[in-house]
Amino acid sequence: MALLEVHNLTKNFGGLTANDNISFQVEKGDLIGIIGPNGAGKTTLFNCVAGLHPISSGQIIFDGKDITELKSHEVARLGMARTFQVYAASGDLSVLENVMVGCFMRTSSTLAAKVKAKEILKEFKLENLSDYLLREIPVAAQKRVTMATAVGTQPKILLLDEVAAGLNSSEIEEIMGTIRSIHNKLAITVMLIEHVMELVMNVSDRVIVIDSGKKIAEGNPEDISNNPDVIKAYLGERYVQEHSAELR
Amino acid sequence: METLKNAFDFSDFPRIDLTVAGIFVFLFLIFPLFPHSAFAMATMIQFFMFSLYGMGWNTIGGYGGQVDLGKAQYVGIGAFTTAVMLIRWNIPFWVSMPIGVCFAVIWSFMLGYPLFRLKGHYFAIATIAASLVLKDLFEVWDFVGAARGLEISPVKYNPPDFLHLIFKEDIYYYYVILVFFFIGILYVNWFRKSRLGFQLRSIKDNEEVAQSLGINVHWAKIKTYAIATAFVSVVGSFHACYIKNIEPEDTMSLDISILIALMAMLGGAGSLWGPIIGAGILIPMKSYLKEWLGAQAGLVGIDLIIYGAIIMLVSAAEPRGIWGIVEKVRRRKAK
Amino acid sequence: MDILVGSISAGLLIGMVLALMALGLTIIFGVMEIVNFAHGEFLMVGMYTGLLTAQATGMDPLLSLPVAGIVGFLLGVICYAGFVKLLLRGPMVAQLLGTFGLMIFLRNLALLFFGAEDRAIHSGVLVGKSVEFGMGVIAPATKLAAAGLSVIAFLSVWLLMNRTKIGKALTATSLNAQGARYMGIATEKMNALAWGIGGGTVTVAGALLVNFWSVNPFMGLLFTMIAFAIVALGGFGSVSGAFFAGLVVGIITEIPGIWDFFTYAFDSDWMSNVPMTSLKYMWVYLAYFLIVVFRPRGLFGWKR
Repeated sequence: MALLEVHNLTKNFGGLTANDNISFQVEKGDLIGIIGPNGAGKTTLFNCVAGLHPISSGQIIFDGKDITELKSHEVARLGMARTFQVYAASGDLSVLENVMVGCFMRTSSTLAAKVKAKEILKEFKLENLSDYLLREIPVAAQKRVTMATAVGTQPKILLLDEVAAGLNSSEIEEIMGTIRSIHNKLAITVMLIEHVMELVMNVSDRVIVIDSGKKIAEGNPEDISNNPDVIKAYLGERYVQEHSAELR
Repeated sequence: METLKNAFDFSDFPRIDLTVAGIFVFLFLIFPLFPHSAFAMATMIQFFMFSLYGMGWNTIGGYGGQVDLGKAQYVGIGAFTTAVMLIRWNIPFWVSMPIGVCFAVIWSFMLGYPLFRLKGHYFAIATIAASLVLKDLFEVWDFVGAARGLEISPVKYNPPDFLHLIFKEDIYYYYVILVFFFIGILYVNWFRKSRLGFQLRSIKDNEEVAQSLGINVHWAKIKTYAIATAFVSVVGSFHACYIKNIEPEDTMSLDISILIALMAMLGGAGSLWGPIIGAGILIPMKSYLKEWLGAQAGLVGIDLIIYGAIIMLVSAAEPRGIWGIVEKVRRRKAK
Repeated sequence: MDILVGSISAGLLIGMVLALMALGLTIIFGVMEIVNFAHGEFLMVGMYTGLLTAQATGMDPLLSLPVAGIVGFLLGVICYAGFVKLLLRGPMVAQLLGTFGLMIFLRNLALLFFGAEDRAIHSGVLVGKSVEFGMGVIAPATKLAAAGLSVIAFLSVWLLMNRTKIGKALTATSLNAQGARYMGIATEKMNALAWGIGGGTVTVAGALLVNFWSVNPFMGLLFTMIAFAIVALGGFGSVSGAFFAGLVVGIITEIPGIWDFFTYAFDSDWMSNVPMTSLKYMWVYLAYFLIVVFRPRGLFGWKR
C-alpha cells in the first residue's frame, strides 16, 4: 500500500484550473521531485494535498486514510509535514522556539519539546543559532530551520516547497545534504518542489513533471531530462524541433 | 507537576530583571506598613487590578496578536454576578467569583466561536460591538439594577468579612488583590512556556504555517480568549466588593476595554512584564492627572486630553511598548 | 399604520444623512485599510462648526456647509500627515489604539472648549417648519433638506470617485497600492486625499445633522459605531453600498417606532414592556456583529 495516493486531483479557482486530473503515488521511503515551469500549479498541488485548499474533485489517500476533506492541521497530525515557499517571519520566536512549536505537536510537555528540539537542531548542525530570532539569521539557515521545525512533528512524509530558492551553490550543497539526511537517517519520505535542477535531479529517485496544471511525465531523473514533452514545456516546441536529433 | 515547575521557574530572565522584580515584590509587600495617603493606597489597588486585567488581555492580545477591544463585558459579568449574589442571597465572594468566571467563560466560548472567524480590524470592531450589546442589555435589565446599577452597603455585613470580601479598611483589599496579582504572574509565567502559549505565538507569526504544524488555530484562539476572560472576570468580581457601587456605564464601557488593552500595549504586549509596566505608568498617571487637573474649574477634560495624547504618542512612536524598547536595546548590545 | 410609515420614512431620511457620514469612513478604509475610531469625533467637529458658523455669522445653518467641509478636509489631511502616517508603520494594535487616542483627544478638547451641555440650532429658515406628505407622514423641513443635500453630496462624491481622474487614482490605490505606485500614482498624496475627502464628507454630514440633532462632546462614539455598521453592511470600500446601507441602518434606528406599531397592531402587553427605545442602538451594534461574522462582504463590497 502506497504511503500517499493522489487520484484525479482537480483544483479550480473560479474559471482557472490550477490542477487538472493529477494522479500519482508515493511509496514509503521514496524521494520524489516535482518540477515544472513557473505557474504550472506545483505549489497549488502541495496546498491541496496538505489540506490548505479544498479540492474541486478527486481523492487523496494518506497512510490508508482518505484525507480529501481534512483541514491542514488534521493532515499534519496524521503525519504530513510541509514547508512554505515564502513567508516573512514577523514574530519574535527564536530558532529553538520555532522548532519547539513543531515538537509540541507530539507532546504537551515543554521540557520534552525543548529536549527534542535541541536534538533536532544538533542533527541539523544549527544548535549555535538556537537563541537567534528566525528573522535575524541568513536565508539559507532560515530554510533549514523551517525544515527542522517540520521534522519536529515527527512526520511520515515531508513536503518541501522550493527550499533551494535564492541559495548560492555552496548553500545548495548544504541543503542537499540536509535533505538526504532527513530521507536516509530519519527515514522520512520526501516530496519536493524545485526549480534548481542540480538539486532535484541529484537527490530524487523519481521525478514528476507538471505543466499547465497537468502531469505530463513521470520517471527517473535521467529519462525525464531527455523526455521531449518535458523539454517542450520548458523550452518550447521550436527548441525540440531544432534539437530533435540530439534528443533521440 | 511540570506545570507548577514552569509557573515558578523564572530562570530564563536575566538576573537583573529578577533582582528588580524581587525588589518590587518586597516593596509591594511592605507598602501598607508605611505611612501613606488613602489616595495612594487606592491607586496601588487599582494598579494591581489593572495589571491583572492587562495580563489577562495579554494572553490573547499580546502573545496571540488578536486585538480584543471588548474585554469590559466580562468585567461586568464578574462584577454583577458577585454583586447580585451577595445582595440577594448573601453568597460569599469565594463562591460567587468562580460562578462569575463560569458565566463569563461560557459566554466567551459562545462569542469566540463566530468571533474568531474574523481577523484584524474586523475582529477588533466585532469585539467592541459585542461588548456594547451586552452593556446595553445590562442597562435595561432590572435584575442587575439596569442603568442605576447596584450598590453594596457595608453596614449589612460585619467587616472585616473575609467570606464576602467586605472590609472597612483598604489594607485588607490591598493584600487580597496582591495575592491575586502574584497568582496572575505565576499563571502567565506558566502560560508563556506552555504548549498553548507557543501555539499562540506561532499563530501570531503566521497562521498558515501554524496550521501546517498541527495547530488547530481557531480552537487555540478560543481557548486563550477564555483564559483572558477568566482573568478579567475574577478582577471584576473583586471590583464589585471593593468599589461596592457598580453600573454598566462604569464597568462595561468601551473606555474600560480600551484601557485594558492599553496596559499591555504601552508596557509591551507579548511579554510577561509588559502589562505590569503599562499599568504602573498609566494608572498612577491617570489618577494623579485627574486629581491635579481634572478638578480645576475651567480645565475639565485636560487630564483626558493628555491621556489621549499619550496614547497617540506611544502608538505612533513605539508601538512595541516600553518592554519592546528594552528588548531592542538588549539585542543591539548582544550583537 | 401611520406610525409604521412615519417611522420608516423618518428612518430613510436620517439614513441618508448617516450614509453621508459613513461615506468618509468607507473611503478611508478602502484606500488604506485603517479604521478611524475618531470618525464620530470628526462628525462632532462638523456639528460644532455648523453650529458656530451659523451663530457667529447669523447665516442660515444650511449655508455653513462649505465651511464645515473645508474644516473637515483640513482636519483629515492634518490628521493623516501628522499622525496616521506614522501609525501605518506599526502593528495593527498600535493603529487601532492610535485612532482611539485621537478620539479621546478630540472628545476632551471639545469638552474643554465647548462644555458638556447639549447645544442645538434654534434659528434658521427651515427650523420649525414641516412638510406633509399624506399617510400621516410629516417630515420636518430641516430633515428633508438635510436628506436632500446628503444625496447631492453623495452623488458628487460618487462622480468624483468614478468619473474623474483623481477619483480613479484613489480607487486604484485602494485596490492595489503597490500597483498604483508603479502606475505613477503618488500613493502618499492619495492617502492624504482620502483622509481629506473622508474628513470633509463627515463634517458636512455633521453640519447637516446639527439642524435637528443636538451636539455634545460625547456623542462621537455612538456615531462611530453606526458608521461601522453602515460600512460593514454596505461593504468596506463601496461608495454605493454605503448609501443603501445607510438607509437600512437609518431604519434600524427607528426600530422603537416600528416596534410600537406592531405592539399596537397585536395589542400585546409584553411587547409594550420591552424598553425598545433604550435598546435602539444595540440593534445597530448587533447588526454589525452579525453582518461581519456571517456576510463579511456586506452587500456590495469586495472580499478582502
